[in-house]
Amino acid sequence: MKIKMSRVLLRILTLILALGVCSFAGFGQDDPDPNSPTPILLSAQDSTRALASSADGITKRPLGKILPQAFKPDSTIALYVTNVSLMKGEGANAFRIYVEDVKGHSYRYPVLDLQPVAGFQGVYAVIVRLTDDIGFWEPPTADGDVLVRLTWRGLTSNRVRLGLGQIGGGIKDDPGSVPTPLGTATLTNKKGRISSPNYVGYKWSGDRTRFLEQATFGPTPDLDNRIRRIGLKAWLAEQFQAPYPSANNPFPNNPLKPGTPPADCDNEQTITPDVPVTCFRDTYSMYQPQTWFFREAFYGDAQLRHRVAWALAQIWVTSGVDIQQGRHMVEYDKILANNAFGNYRTLMKQMTLDPTMGDYLSMALSTKNNPNENYAREIMQLFTVGLFMLNQDGTLQLDASNNPIPTYDQTTVNNMTKVLTGWTLCNNGCPNSVSGTPNFIDPMVLVTNNHDLTAKTLLNYPGSTTSTIAACSNCTNSTNIATYANASMDKALDNIFYHPNVGPFVSRNLIQKLVTSDPTPAYVGRVAAVFNDNGFGVRGDLQAVIKAILLDPEARGDVKSDPNYGKLREPVLFATNILRAFGVRSADGLSQSDGYMTGRSEFTGMAQTPFMSPTVFNFYPPDYNVPGTALNGPEFAIMNTGTAITRTNFVNRFVFTAIPIPVSSPNAPNGTSLDFTDLQDLSTADPTGNLLLDELDRRMLHNTMSATMRSTILPVVTSVAASNPLSRVRQAIYLVATSSQYQVQR
Amino acid sequence: MKQDRREFLKKSCGALSMAALATQMGHFGLMSAVAAQNLEKKSDDLVPSDYRALVCVFLQGGNDGNNMIIPNHTTGSTNNYNNYATARGAQGLALSGSSTSLIPLTGTSILVPRIGNLEYALHPALGIQTPATNIVNNGIHELWALGKLAAVTNVGTLVAPMTRATYLNNSVPKPFQLFSHSDQVSQYQGGRSDTQSFTGWAGRISDLRTALDNPGGLVPMVTSISGAQLFTSGQSTLPLAIADSNTSLANVLAPAGFGLPNPTGTNLARLNAFNSLRTQDLSANFVAAASHITDVAMAANAALQSAVTVSTAFPNTSIGRQLKQVALMIKKRTDLSINRQVFYVQLGSFDTHTNQVATQNNLLVQLSQAMRAFYDEMVAQSLEDKVTQFTMADFSRTLNPAGTGSGVVGTDHAWGNHMLVVGGGITAADFYGNNGANGTPFPQLSFNTADDADNGSNARGRWVPATSVEQYAATLARWFGVPDANLSTAFPKIGNFAVTNLGFMQPPAP
Repeated sequence: MKIKMSRVLLRILTLILALGVCSFAGFGQDDPDPNSPTPILLSAQDSTRALASSADGITKRPLGKILPQAFKPDSTIALYVTNVSLMKGEGANAFRIYVEDVKGHSYRYPVLDLQPVAGFQGVYAVIVRLTDDIGFWEPPTADGDVLVRLTWRGLTSNRVRLGLGQIGGGIKDDPGSVPTPLGTATLTNKKGRISSPNYVGYKWSGDRTRFLEQATFGPTPDLDNRIRRIGLKAWLAEQFQAPYPSANNPFPNNPLKPGTPPADCDNEQTITPDVPVTCFRDTYSMYQPQTWFFREAFYGDAQLRHRVAWALAQIWVTSGVDIQQGRHMVEYDKILANNAFGNYRTLMKQMTLDPTMGDYLSMALSTKNNPNENYAREIMQLFTVGLFMLNQDGTLQLDASNNPIPTYDQTTVNNMTKVLTGWTLCNNGCPNSVSGTPNFIDPMVLVTNNHDLTAKTLLNYPGSTTSTIAACSNCTNSTNIATYANASMDKALDNIFYHPNVGPFVSRNLIQKLVTSDPTPAYVGRVAAVFNDNGFGVRGDLQAVIKAILLDPEARGDVKSDPNYGKLREPVLFATNILRAFGVRSADGLSQSDGYMTGRSEFTGMAQTPFMSPTVFNFYPPDYNVPGTALNGPEFAIMNTGTAITRTNFVNRFVFTAIPIPVSSPNAPNGTSLDFTDLQDLSTADPTGNLLLDELDRRMLHNTMSATMRSTILPVVTSVAASNPLSRVRQAIYLVATSSQYQVQR
Repeated sequence: MKQDRREFLKKSCGALSMAALATQMGHFGLMSAVAAQNLEKKSDDLVPSDYRALVCVFLQGGNDGNNMIIPNHTTGSTNNYNNYATARGAQGLALSGSSTSLIPLTGTSILVPRIGNLEYALHPALGIQTPATNIVNNGIHELWALGKLAAVTNVGTLVAPMTRATYLNNSVPKPFQLFSHSDQVSQYQGGRSDTQSFTGWAGRISDLRTALDNPGGLVPMVTSISGAQLFTSGQSTLPLAIADSNTSLANVLAPAGFGLPNPTGTNLARLNAFNSLRTQDLSANFVAAASHITDVAMAANAALQSAVTVSTAFPNTSIGRQLKQVALMIKKRTDLSINRQVFYVQLGSFDTHTNQVATQNNLLVQLSQAMRAFYDEMVAQSLEDKVTQFTMADFSRTLNPAGTGSGVVGTDHAWGNHMLVVGGGITAADFYGNNGANGTPFPQLSFNTADDADNGSNARGRWVPATSVEQYAATLARWFGVPDANLSTAFPKIGNFAVTNLGFMQPPAP
């Protein structure tokens, strides 16, 4: 109760600050301003027509003398941008140019170059080819104006008009748009400035909330306070050292499941009842790892490690769909968590020998006489290099005929398969071996007779040093075979690890899981550079990679205005963000939640049950496009009419009721409910409902609730008598939490 | 590559349906209201007077066709039971009519007119089963004799016609990322194999035909009972995606807590606000997309309220419940004011790298029971000639087994595969598809020979398809009512293939 009271006091203090009654500097450490300046596309003096010239005309005519003209499709032109503050090395691939035509179709034009304009400090020429590089729509007809937008670091410029084929035409300017001629737009502060100064409460509270959405399972008022005091970097340093899992939530330690579980623990209750009745659930089922996972997400202090392990679990996928036993997920998850801030090469090796992975992708059964390609293919396709050769910024390399270049072919798969033959589950002789029980705890072991001893060719790429493995010359005894096999595995893993694709492939994938679905190539490139070298000559340092992802200027800032920025909250994060925002607790409010979510239809109906991915391709593939668009949005693969409604029903469950402690089923011993007392206090304090909405805006939408949205929700709140603050709070939270504005993490 | 895609898009754009455009106007700004009014229906496009539906049954993971249809005779030298038993027997993967020796199968024989009336066999799981839980009928094998089951053999992803020779000498473009699950699924569902697709072939048919065939339709043309799939995504139309029959149609898209269907007071105010919020902040594209999907759901929910039932027993399996939900939707077709529908259901776990014998048997029993129940229900609804079920899968699997021994032996990813088509709309019970190297549509069951894409002593039997996915799908689309002139919109690469009608379906409705 004490904690609750102090939260309320703090919130009131925040509100006082927001109302401007008093103001003083935040205590503790301040992070630097996280906001990048908002780019401005230059226009003509007295209209919103773009300042634009042919690309070779940049130096021919002074900027102030450029005349309006139309441009042919596929020509290369220069647009002019100002109010940007570039980092070292930041260039063309940090910018995107989007065009909309009168039909409302959207196109993306490639940015070829960025050049400072001589004599005009802070003005850059953006060299653009007027050729759509997405191809979702037929190209725009060259018969009039289109609107051009530039995006950079998740921020959008103003939109300016550009004549395609001819000048004029029906497309309307954005409401309120004004000319942005040369000289009226200059960078106000070299270090960047607050582009959205209308924050509520402390400086950069929007950025902190956004940071916590990216780095944890959801912001809480307490975490927000802590970061405000110590700053993002200090918090990250703390997280890299934080003990995991929480002391009161140790990893489940279930025994391995025998081929046939004992009759009093086999979930069959009629002939021989289980003793206790929950024996099977607690001993062998997925219940333990799943409820453990949610408890750690709700309450754990090592939030970042748990979040990154969860991201890695969606790359290095295994699934309880095939083997439904709890214990086989535990060692696997330990490997992910232990390596979340470790080295990717170590993760690769441990995963390759992990018995759960070995079983899931059949490597445990692959022998020289009966090889199985499954793991060899997927470690390349899904976990490390991907199907196509990438540039270091994650874009596709193209051959002379503009086609992507495959990273490997069936021959490579066959050869990698040979290298990985002979390992199998250690069902005898290891610390956790139990005769007749598959050992999902100890790493797999080599059966030397089953290892392929012939020569292999590996991935061949520029700079590859270990692209072949010679046939074994001395494999006359098992010691020599073991030496050869182990060295071969390391060579093959090195061969994969040093492939230039791994940096951009893994970096982009992690950015998508944490920050945004469609990062700019520049962002991917900055993170990939850290993957390639953490600054101390080390490749694959995930701690450095995570830090680079979360502190990048494309991730940071109070508000992101780029229309394509952000990501749909995946069901697990959607759920935990809502629950953490409102003091998730047991059904009776007296203790912690038991973490039981996955047996509930309003959770499973959202199509993402932890550790139960339907296939090795995860719940959604990283390259999924939002239907009806060419926009990359992986999580939309499980957003459809059915799951959309289930999402609203999940919110309904927790806002209006709870997961009760059931009478008949023992799966929710504590149940789960939310705590709205602090919000009820706010509702009581302000019968207009505005303080309540201010708080929800700050906590859930990092101060981006539009005036229209507020004016839509407020009458619903006030339609309830002020004497019923709980109902008022429920109406408001339901509407914010079910809104698409909240469901998309921006 | 890019140019081709553009060309395709150009064609499909001209044919965007009015209803489809109207649906999305608010969210993706596809066109102005004025432009929508100008898009008038041509007089020769009549609203269909009958009902037709296609039901795609996707076998996720890649069903092993080599164990689904087996030569059950000893005639010929390359394509008989002995070849099959030789390739798979030693590792314990060959199906047999006896538990002690490898002899032809009994009980699921079919006679194939196309191949000299020779005897083939279906996997025993497709025949009559010992009564047990979820065994509710005699399975689909019986439908062959009734002329309601056909097979299209050695179908696969192709950019253009290809042989073992042109595959090995690289003289014909190969499908994008052969043998990779995700890419091969995308190509079956996308209906093209030369590049990545943004849309699926059912989605494109929906773009083309929604306004013409389903004017006033209350739900989208395409419904998935297994999530949103590439197959179901159009450029301008979205599918309905709903849960299986464990949830009634009335509840499947119903938001809880409003007191629907008659909300009052604060509930009504909140519902109105909930709907209103989806018209706001649409400049953010992810927000617009999420709102649009929810809009489609809310509109469909209103149309799905009155209850219907079916009279046939469906097995209580995932695929059984999915097909039951399809049957319930079809029963509501008049209420929904809809004449043409495409459905998607799927059955998973066919990626049998290990333990294939038990796994595939179990899955095919589920498949057979569910497809038969669905067929029987269509008979009960007098729609057996109007509704066609057809299978697709990632790919087939290597003839050469992976691993050896009971409980272990499986197969790896391969290519050309056999597909099943069920319904009264088929022409006759037979094998269909182009002839391969051996002069029949059935691949030669031997390694490193006429139909094998693998070469050399380690060849594992991955069939170069004689028939493309597009040819298979276009034959179905034509029966469904897609005019020949529009086939290239639905299947951009169909022009690479001389035959666009494999003949297994009866003519389209007049």
